[in-house]
Amino acid sequence: MLDMETKPNGPVAAVFVAAGIGSLVLGIFVVLNEVSPDISKFLKFDESYGIGTGVGPLSGKVVLAVAAFLVSWIVLHLVARGREVNFGRWFALALVLVFAGFALTFPPIFEYIVHLFPAAD
Amino acid sequence: MEFSERELWTVGHGLVLGTLFLLAFGGGLAGLYSLNARYLTEDGVAERTPRLLVGSLVMAIVAWLTVISGTFVVYPWYRATPPEAIDRTVQSDALGDFPRFWLLASERTAEWHRLGMEWKEHVAWIAPLLATAVAFAVVYYGAQLVRRGEIRRAAIIFFTLAFVAAGVAGLFGAFITKAAPVA
Repeated sequence: MLDMETKPNGPVAAVFVAAGIGSLVLGIFVVLNEVSPDISKFLKFDESYGIGTGVGPLSGKVVLAVAAFLVSWIVLHLVARGREVNFGRWFALALVLVFAGFALTFPPIFEYIVHLFPAAD
Repeated sequence: MEFSERELWTVGHGLVLGTLFLLAFGGGLAGLYSLNARYLTEDGVAERTPRLLVGSLVMAIVAWLTVISGTFVVYPWYRATPPEAIDRTVQSDALGDFPRFWLLASERTAEWHRLGMEWKEHVAWIAPLLATAVAFAVVYYGAQLVRRGEIRRAAIIFFTLAFVAAGVAGLFGAFITKAAPVA
């Protein structure tokens, strides 16, 4: 078992990057929700599509983040399946995306970005 | 002694699922760390792999259940809007049924919402994404993971980041519930 051949790493690299994309999309919509009342209204999937009741814009943010994760997972999986990729590069990209997602959900950071847009004030 | 529906949901969301998440994280992390060809015989790999599989799958499933129940069941109670007749600038008993507004009614407690809840409600959703990626890697490779040091290390990092995201959410959830319970 210890000296066996292993499967190609492409599919695993794909899901790691997809998780990063989902995290970043969540962070982006956290910022956009604060920047634009129109986007905030659009994100109320509970009112528009009946996804939850009384959840507000959070319903749209999480649905879109999960959708981004799933769609990018499928696409990247198709791109990378059966391939041995440079896992270090793919994982570095995934980490950057995840940390960006973390940062954009942190209130002092997203509020700072929001204040760069005069219309939001 | 009885529990209201809201108390049952908040206990289920925070305490029951939170405890399961911690247990699964501990088991999964130990499994990933120890799945190292330098430390293990073939029998050792065969013995550890199912436990790692269970730990990573349970962590991913529990993470999804926690964020879904938190966002779509508990959170609407937290952010409910009080009727116009209730003064939103005074932390009265009547306003206590509307935790978000109760917290914002005083500068002494407002940061629990502005920083704590605003971060918690979002960052928690990163945890199931990362935990799912790790679970997929473990399911995909199974015992072969012992030969894939770079993926095992990446999984440990993602697993830990998932725990950090859930930990931030759980910690703020506990403090906010203490300051302004939804039940």
